[in-house]
Amino acid sequence: MNVISRGIKNALRSPLRSGAIVLMLAISIGLILSMLVARGSVNSKIDEVKSTAGTSITITPAGVNGFAGGGDALTSTQLATITSTAHITGTSASLNDQLSSTDTSLTASLELGNFGARQMRFEGSSTPSSANSSPSDTTITRRAPTPRTTVTGTTNPNSVSTNGSDLTLTSGETIDGTSSELVALVGSDLATKNSLVVGSTFTAYTKTITVKGIFSTGNKFQDSGIIMPLATVQTLTDQSGSVNSIVAKVDSSDNVSSTVAALKTALSDKADIVSQAEQAAASVSSLESIASLALGGVIGATIAGAVIVLLAMIMVVRERRREIGVIKAIGGTNRKVVGQFVTEALTLTVIGSIIGLALGVAVSGPMTTSLVSSSTSSTTSTSGRPAGGPGEMMRGGFNQISKNLTSVTSTLTPTIFASAIGITLLIAVIGAAVPAWFISKISPAEVLRTE
Amino acid sequence: MLVVKNLSKSFSSASGDVTALNKVNLTVQTGEFASIIGKSGSGKSTLLSMLGALDIPTSGSIEVDGVDIAKLSAGKQTAYRAKKIGFVFQHYNLIPNLTALENVMLALEFGGMPAKKRKARAEQLLTDVGLEPDEQLRKPPRLSGGQQQRVSIARALANHPAIVLADEPTGNLDSETGKKIFDLLHHLSRSEKTTILAVTHDMDIAGKTDRTFKLKDGKIIA
Ligand SMILES: Nc1ncnc2c1ncn2[C@@H]1O[C@H](COP(=O)(O)OP(=O)(O)OP(=O)(O)O)[C@@H](O)[C@H]1O
Ligand SMILES: [Mg+2]
Repeated sequence: MNVISRGIKNALRSPLRSGAIVLMLAISIGLILSMLVARGSVNSKIDEVKSTAGTSITITPAGVNGFAGGGDALTSTQLATITSTAHITGTSASLNDQLSSTDTSLTASLELGNFGARQMRFEGSSTPSSANSSPSDTTITRRAPTPRTTVTGTTNPNSVSTNGSDLTLTSGETIDGTSSELVALVGSDLATKNSLVVGSTFTAYTKTITVKGIFSTGNKFQDSGIIMPLATVQTLTDQSGSVNSIVAKVDSSDNVSSTVAALKTALSDKADIVSQAEQAAASVSSLESIASLALGGVIGATIAGAVIVLLAMIMVVRERRREIGVIKAIGGTNRKVVGQFVTEALTLTVIGSIIGLALGVAVSGPMTTSLVSSSTSSTTSTSGRPAGGPGEMMRGGFNQISKNLTSVTSTLTPTIFASAIGITLLIAVIGAAVPAWFISKISPAEVLRTE
Repeated sequence: MLVVKNLSKSFSSASGDVTALNKVNLTVQTGEFASIIGKSGSGKSTLLSMLGALDIPTSGSIEVDGVDIAKLSAGKQTAYRAKKIGFVFQHYNLIPNLTALENVMLALEFGGMPAKKRKARAEQLLTDVGLEPDEQLRKPPRLSGGQQQRVSIARALANHPAIVLADEPTGNLDSETGKKIFDLLHHLSRSEKTTILAVTHDMDIAGKTDRTFKLKDGKIIA
C-alpha cells in the first residue's frame, strides 16, 4: 500500500458515484475532442480555400452584373490606369457579347430552361417564335425566346478558366489574345452541338471565323461559349477600345487589399472591384463561424469537465474531513494526503478520458459533417445567380469553392489528440488543486472533535 | 519525561475568546501511566491535542525529553506525531476502506518503516492485541467496537512511541470490554516503558493508574 494505490482504491470506493462522475467527464472529454477535430478540419479547409484563392482582382463597369444592369463599358484609359497601379503585374481584359441566331451560323448549345427564358422575356427579344411553347406551362405567356451563344473577347484566354489554372484544351492550340485575327476557341458543348473540330469555320457578325481549338472547363455555361481575341470582338461589335471586364494580377497576396483600395480610389465609382481573396474570405465566413463555435464548445466542455472533477473532489474532501484529520494525526504528511487525493482525482479523470476519447473518435466525424453542412447550406444556396458575362464566370469558380466547403473531411491528427489529452490533464489539475488546498487546511486536531 | 509549563490555549469564536487551557503545569515521568479526569468542557481533549502536536498552544511550553515540541516546524511536528506519539481515540478513527492490517501498516509507513517489513510487524502487533488472523483482514465496519479499539491500540503502538495519548478510549465500550482494553494498554506500555496519558470518566479506571490529574475550567486542580 502506498499513496498511489490508496488513491486508486479510494476512487473506486463508491462505484455508483464514481461511475456517474466518470460518465459526465467522458461526455465532456468526448465533446472536447470532437470539437477540436471539427475546428482543426474547418481551419485547414479555410487555409486551403484562402491559399488557392489567388491574387486576381476583377474590375467590371459599375452596376453591371453579367449581361444585366446598366453602366458604361470600361475604356482603354481606365485600362491604362489599372495597368500602371502599383503591385499589378499583369492584366487581361475582356469584352463580352451574345450571338443570337440571326448573328451566327451556330446553334446555341445551352438550353434556356425556365430560368433563362424568364430572363430573356424582359429583354424584348427580336426573334419572335411561337414554337416550343408548352401549353401546360402557364408561366410562359409571351413568345418563347431562343437561346444565345456567349462570345468572350479576351487578351488572355486562360482567364476564362474557372479553376484558376490554365484553360484546358481538348484539341487544337490556344489563340493569341492580343491579335485581331478572325480565330476562336470553342467550348466543347458548342463544338459537339455544331460538329466543329479544329480547322472548321463558322459565321459570326457576317465574318468567317476559324476554330483553333476546343476547350473544356466542366462548367456548362462556359463550355457553350466562344473565346476570341479582344481586339477582334471590339472590331466586330463596333466597340473599339471598350472592355467590360479586366482581371488584374497582384504581385503577392499581402498586397491584394491595398491594391483594391488603390484601384477604388483611382477609378472612383466608375467600376466595381472584386478580389478573389475577398470573395474567398466571404465564402469561408460560415466556416469561420463554425471554427469559433467549435472553439467555444472546447472551452465550454473544458470548464464543464473541470467543474465536474472539482465538485466531485470537494464533495469527497468534505465527506472525509475526519479521515484526513486522522491521517495527519498519525503522522501522514500534507504531501501524502494531497498526493492520495490527487491520485483519486486523476484515476477518475483517466478512466473518464479513456471512455471520452473513444467516444470523441467515434462521434467527431459525424459531428464535423453535421456542423459544416447545417451552417454552409445557406451560403451555397445564395450563390446561384442569373447566368451571363464574365462576372458570372468568376462567380462560377466561387460556386465551386462553396460546394467544396461542404466537403470538409474530419481528420483526427496526432496534434489534436495530444491537445485533447493536454486539456484533460488541465481538467484534472484544476479539479484536484482546489481540493488539495482544502486538504492542506484541515487541522489534525479535527480528530478529537466529537461529531 | 514530559514537562508542561504554563500551557495556555484560547480559541477565538464568534462570542469572544474561549480559554480552554489556563496556565497548566504538569510533569509525567517516562513509563508512567497517568489519567486525566474532569467535566465536559474542562479542556481535557484540548490538553491532549497540545501534547500530541495536533494544535499549537497560545503560550507555554511542552518539553518531551528536553525538546519543546510547540516550537518545532510543521514538518518536524508531523514527524513527531508519526514517531513519538501514539493516539487512541474514543471513536477509534480507523480508515474505513482499509483492512485492520492495512490500518496498522499505514502508521508504519508514516513512521518510516521499509515497505517489506511492515506486514510482519503489523501482524505481530494485531496478534498481541488479540486479533485473529481472519479478523486482521477485515475492514473496520466488520469488526466490533472492542475489536476496532484493539486495532487502534496496535496502530498507536506501531512505531514504539514515547507517549501514548488516549482520549476516552473506553468511552464507547461497555464497562467490561472497557476494562479489558485498559488492561491491554497498561500491559503493553509496561513492557515497552511507554508513557501513557489517558482521559477517562471511569473512576475505577482512574483509580488504577499511577497518577490522576483533575482539570476544571482549563486548570489543574489536583
Ligand atoms: N476548535 C475550538 N474552537 C473553539 N472552542 C473550542 C475549540 N475546541 C475546544 N473548544 C472549547 O474549549 C473548551 C474545552 O474543550 P475540550 O474539547 O478540551 O473539552 P473536554 O474536556 O475534552 O470535554 P469533553 O469531556 O466533552 O470531551 C470548551 O469550552 C470548548 O467549547
Ligand atoms: Mg474531549
